[in-house]
Amino acid sequence: MSEPLLEANGITKSFGGVRALRGADFAVHPGEVAALVGDNGAGKSTLVKILSGTLAPDGGEIRFEGRQVAIEHPVAARELGIETVYQDLALAPELDPAANLFLGRELVRPGLLGRLGFLDKAAMRRRTNKAFADLGVGLQDTGAMVANLSGGQRQSVAVSRAATWVSKVVFMDEPTAALGVVQSAHVRDLIRRVRDSGIAVVLISHNMPEVMELADRIEVLRLGVRVARYQAADTTMEQVIAAMTGALGSEEGEVA
Amino acid sequence: MSETREVPPAEVPDEVAPEPAGNGLRAVLRRRLTETTTWTFLILLGIVAGFAALRFQQFATVFNFRNIAADASGLLIIAVGMTFVIITSGIDLSVGSVLVFSGVIAAKVMLAIGGEGWGAIGAGLVAGLVAGLAWGVVNGVLVTKARVPPLIVTLGTLGMALGSALLITGGIDVRGVPLQLTTTIGIGQLGGVPYVVIIAAAVTAVGAVTLSMTRFGRYTYAIGSNAEAARRAGIDVDRHLIKVYALSGLLAGLAGMVSLARFATTTIGGHSTDNLAAIAAVVLGGTSLFGGIGTVLGTLVGVFIPAILQNGFVILGVQPFWQQVAVGAVLIVAVYIDQLKRRAQERGERR
Amino acid sequence: MRRRWLVGTVALALLLAACGGDDDGGGAAGGGERQYKLTLIQGVKGDQFYVTMQCGAQAAAKAAGATLDVTAPDEFDASLQTPVVNAVVAKKPDAILVAPTDTKAMIPPLTQAKAAGIKLVFVDTTTENGAELAESEIASDNEEGGREAARALAELTGGKGSVLVINVKPGISTTDARAKGFEDEIKKTPGLKYIGQEYSNDKPEIAASKATAALAAHPDLVGIFGTNLFSAEGAATGLRSAGASKKVKIVGFDAGPKQVEDLDQGIVQALIAQKPADIGKAGVEQAIAALKGEPVQKKIGTGFVVVTKENMNDPDVKPFLYKSSC
Repeated sequence: MSEPLLEANGITKSFGGVRALRGADFAVHPGEVAALVGDNGAGKSTLVKILSGTLAPDGGEIRFEGRQVAIEHPVAARELGIETVYQDLALAPELDPAANLFLGRELVRPGLLGRLGFLDKAAMRRRTNKAFADLGVGLQDTGAMVANLSGGQRQSVAVSRAATWVSKVVFMDEPTAALGVVQSAHVRDLIRRVRDSGIAVVLISHNMPEVMELADRIEVLRLGVRVARYQAADTTMEQVIAAMTGALGSEEGEVA
Repeated sequence: MSETREVPPAEVPDEVAPEPAGNGLRAVLRRRLTETTTWTFLILLGIVAGFAALRFQQFATVFNFRNIAADASGLLIIAVGMTFVIITSGIDLSVGSVLVFSGVIAAKVMLAIGGEGWGAIGAGLVAGLVAGLAWGVVNGVLVTKARVPPLIVTLGTLGMALGSALLITGGIDVRGVPLQLTTTIGIGQLGGVPYVVIIAAAVTAVGAVTLSMTRFGRYTYAIGSNAEAARRAGIDVDRHLIKVYALSGLLAGLAGMVSLARFATTTIGGHSTDNLAAIAAVVLGGTSLFGGIGTVLGTLVGVFIPAILQNGFVILGVQPFWQQVAVGAVLIVAVYIDQLKRRAQERGERR
Repeated sequence: MRRRWLVGTVALALLLAACGGDDDGGGAAGGGERQYKLTLIQGVKGDQFYVTMQCGAQAAAKAAGATLDVTAPDEFDASLQTPVVNAVVAKKPDAILVAPTDTKAMIPPLTQAKAAGIKLVFVDTTTENGAELAESEIASDNEEGGREAARALAELTGGKGSVLVINVKPGISTTDARAKGFEDEIKKTPGLKYIGQEYSNDKPEIAASKATAALAAHPDLVGIFGTNLFSAEGAATGLRSAGASKKVKIVGFDAGPKQVEDLDQGIVQALIAQKPADIGKAGVEQAIAALKGEPVQKKIGTGFVVVTKENMNDPDVKPFLYKSSC
């Protein structure tokens, strides 16, 4: 198996008296979908926030492309090529999709106007339209506020944003949680497309059928520690759930 | 904040993607016409038409409109700053007091330097602007670093700025400002347009362009819409908010300079309700108190509704208190309609 | 649907307002005589001195067959009176009776009024160039009023101790004159030490705090002269809350209902009442004379009445107490 693109070793994190992560491990490789699963309170969201730069770990190390790194801010993560689709989407509802796509990375006009901060809205809109087209996202009114889009459309905007900017790793935290059947299918297609372009995709999901369908590998977190790793093709949903709930005990599952 | 220009992979072929229906002219117009600003503008036109119909020769004259504009110039300058603040879902109650404080500082500096020349006047004006900016920075720092809600912070600086002004002056207006300031900028005109109107118009234009076309404006909207999302996107939210409150303070200072020029006295007692008038103007113009939505052009319309109502009512001979009732009623109706529209939009999209 | 609502509401509001306003249809028109349109711009809303002036002016206007509109700013401040003046000028009355709130700051808008062909009469206060700007300046002889106050206070205090003046703010012609008159006259009583002026900015709360502060700083304070209604009223409140109402005598200017009540209860000892109704009446008369081209009196000084608890119900004193409504 190839070298992990991003890996976490022995991450610890406490919030007051609560030990959310007690030496958790994780790894993801380029061109694969690695699912991070676990029951409520297992520490999935905390681990994702640490790896995407939103939280700082108390202990442990993070390695990116083999080097040890400290990801201290979401911008630091971005500079490494890591993008995140947060569970709460982190979209600005009153801005349009193009503005959201380019949030924090706005394009400015060339020359003097650009130095004064004048936005190149036309260019941003063009590239957003292209990104949507490439990713198969159909939006009728791209000038509308994100708040006026349906839940599924908003999710698509958030996923497209990450997919557009990502160069190495993308985290997707519950990307289809609020979606209907058709829209979930679209997002899953999107995820596959991203994976096929060589990006490492980390999928956090409660939706076990979806996990089994999408993931190449599955890593199970329980009570703040990794308890099992599976190749999706070689395991069953029951086995994974058993690992999640502790029925299998604290042992390493099969590693390919 | 990252300085590297990150470029999305989709950049190189800058071909035209299939244009979705949202960017055509008709769609843009449709969006514009349903916005609150347009309705407020129609209300304004309605009011103007109404007064013109009732008292044409008295109301609809260049003389009258020129005076209305000159009288509204100070409030417009403050309201432009307030627009930025409210779009970030903040508020600035201290503007009237900062206006007075800036005027006091400027007048004192002019008197201290002495003489009637532009040197003294210029120094005083700069001092007044700096004073306004300083209060704005105080507001911004307290809101961002001390994490005190803007309502409380600016309520505090409202008291502190006015109190400081009263301390410095002993409660009495400072008079004796160089006459040149009043005769040129204060009541002078350029091509038939009063200088104070030109200044207010320039502030409005710069404010409108900045808000709608620059990164600074977009960050203002983003922070008001979802500050956490902005933070995660790498925007230095704290620094931006300090700049926005500083801008509000600076413009309050500028309004203080304009007032000083017009009246040649610091008018300490006349600005206790400027903050509410500015907020009402901004909200009337379509800016949402919850942040993320609003325009400077809307504020321009919003400033003139109370101004024209007051003027028209005096011309009609209506008792002064009816003016306040009317302005309050229009404000409530305008915001109510805005709420109805929003709720309809929400209901419509929940499929 | 909602759009029609909104435009309809606004139109209705305007119509109601128009009907509720004094339009130019009021007042009896004489035979072939032109009906003059006058407007009175007071210094501030809700001040009984100006209300009494309004009553006198309205009576005189009715008698002369002219119409009189009345309006005022929310506070006694030039920045608030200016938009009101500008709007009144746009209305193009034949003449404006106005009490300017600042001797300098009100010159530009009033100059504009004169340039528009409107005759100006200054009632109570005036501007630095009042003699040129206005057809007539009508006020109490405020210096004499100040002197009266000094005499009254000297008598009330027995001529020994410290006395304070609580004035409004510099730049108001009337109150400045009263303070000056008081200052000049109080020198004639050597036993009284004049400790100077404090300013209330026409706010009773500030007058109250200045009074109590002075009391703390000067324990031998025996008398206060409040140069206008709010200043005197505030001083009385301050002294009452400090429990010094018996010790310190107050002479106030103006006789509003609250002050008369204070007088009755012994909180204030004397009031120098102006005759604002006379000022209003004279204002209307001079305005109409100017409009008709008849000779005008450039300056009119109206008189005073010294009101005390003893004489306040006398038939020659009672009519001069100020009214809260006409």
